[in-house]
Amino acid sequence: MYEERITSIIEDPAQEFDIVVRITREEDIAVARQMAKQLAQEIGFSLADVTRIATAVSELARNIYRYARQGRIMIRKRLEDRDSPGIEVIAADRGPGIPDIELVLTRGYTTWERSLGIGLSGVKRLMDSFAIHSEVGKGTVVITGKRRRTF
Amino acid sequence: MPIMRVGGYLLVPIQIDLDDRTVGRLQQQLLKEIERTRARAVILDVRMVEVIDSYISYTLSETAVMARLMGCRTVLCGIQPPVALTLAQMGVTLQEVAVARNLEHALVLAGSFQERDKGV
Amino acid sequence: MDAGKVMEIVNGLTADGRQKDLWRRVMGGALGKEAADGLFETLRSLIEELGEEEVGAKILHIAGEHASFPAVDILRAALKVSGEMRRENEHVLMQLRQMLSELATPIIRIWTDILLVAMIGNLDGQRAQNIAERLLNRVSSVRAKVVLVDVTGVPMIDTVVGGFLMEMFNAIKFLGAEVILTGIKPEVAHTLVKLGVDFQMVTVARDLEDALRRGIAITMEERKRRRQLAFSLAGGRLEESGEDDEL
Repeated sequence: MYEERITSIIEDPAQEFDIVVRITREEDIAVARQMAKQLAQEIGFSLADVTRIATAVSELARNIYRYARQGRIMIRKRLEDRDSPGIEVIAADRGPGIPDIELVLTRGYTTWERSLGIGLSGVKRLMDSFAIHSEVGKGTVVITGKRRRTF
Repeated sequence: MPIMRVGGYLLVPIQIDLDDRTVGRLQQQLLKEIERTRARAVILDVRMVEVIDSYISYTLSETAVMARLMGCRTVLCGIQPPVALTLAQMGVTLQEVAVARNLEHALVLAGSFQERDKGV
Repeated sequence: MDAGKVMEIVNGLTADGRQKDLWRRVMGGALGKEAADGLFETLRSLIEELGEEEVGAKILHIAGEHASFPAVDILRAALKVSGEMRRENEHVLMQLRQMLSELATPIIRIWTDILLVAMIGNLDGQRAQNIAERLLNRVSSVRAKVVLVDVTGVPMIDTVVGGFLMEMFNAIKFLGAEVILTGIKPEVAHTLVKLGVDFQMVTVARDLEDALRRGIAITMEERKRRRQLAFSLAGGRLEESGEDDEL
């Protein structure tokens, strides 16, 4: 099922996003972060939440660059609920996939030498919703969202 | 990245968005400067930095550990409230890094390290 | 449609003189005899007086009885007005809620460079984040050196609330300020230890007085160091003044 999900998200041109950043170079991490920040500001998130979102996008983009070499960050506004609009961030790649998702969500776990191992678990903490679909050899999709707090 | 000398300390005002390459270059540049100037402390002013993610904090902390091995302390100052909240929520701890409110406080902290290291 | 016909419809709606006048103006607006702004304003007065449902029922009544009258236009305008009013109400409610949450967590400047935050009531995720944001902005804007956190008013601290507090304390420390915690009741201490929540990164004080004493000691120590630094930077030429030289 997740494979279908991955394919549909990566290949379906009908999926509309406000921002799509292809991650192929190290500089793209900063680009994705910056664009996420602008969109979050537009939606009216507090400065603290804008920073949380930008940081989460930075982590997701870096994971793509590090482990899959290339992939995409896709971001869109969620305005269905007028009183508490939100943002959705999807990170998708056709990289090696994650064999044990539980393990990568454990704080301090990393396969990278120079890392705190708090990337994905950090994203989960910073955002309101978090889902991950991955299959070894196929790729990984992380879908995460945040709602604007009412006060 | 400009690195200034104040007394026996190095002062680095970071006034650009930190991307991975910049922060990596900063580490190399700093370690060279510490060796060259035999600085007793490095003060990194991050007042203008809007995002510090796990990689940037890892590299800053790693730099501090390396600097410490060269006899130099690291003080980070001017972390903005949204950045502080984000770092805390992610569970980041900055090893070997002292945190100061502003430059003046950073200088005070650097001075107190010096006393402690001398055993005063 | 002439004025006589309008009056006839209005007389069929209500016996109240003021309401009659309002309805007459609404209908005039719908017929284009009065400015559209006036229509919205008058509808608002009517809704405030009668309530949405009553106004809706009367418009339907007009539509049923007098097919030639453009009641749909009035209904459309009424929906728009009531939508606006609902949003305004929600906005007011939101502001009141925010005010309440701020009142529920007072942040007081209790001493030079020392803030006191009194946490009262239960803490959920949203509330904890709001308090943390407000407190951090305050610490940063007044350049507080020490934050006293009094949790006497928090009835229960479980792992979740303990986690919020730890996050907040760590965030305060990232700003370069010290945290002194006070007001942990015996039963809370018991739970915390059982849950494995330790507050090792903060100083814990017996009571508020003890917390303030420790806070003042920290600020005095820093002031002393600051003066020594100024003295040495000035090459020993600075006159040591007994007065507080805080900027």
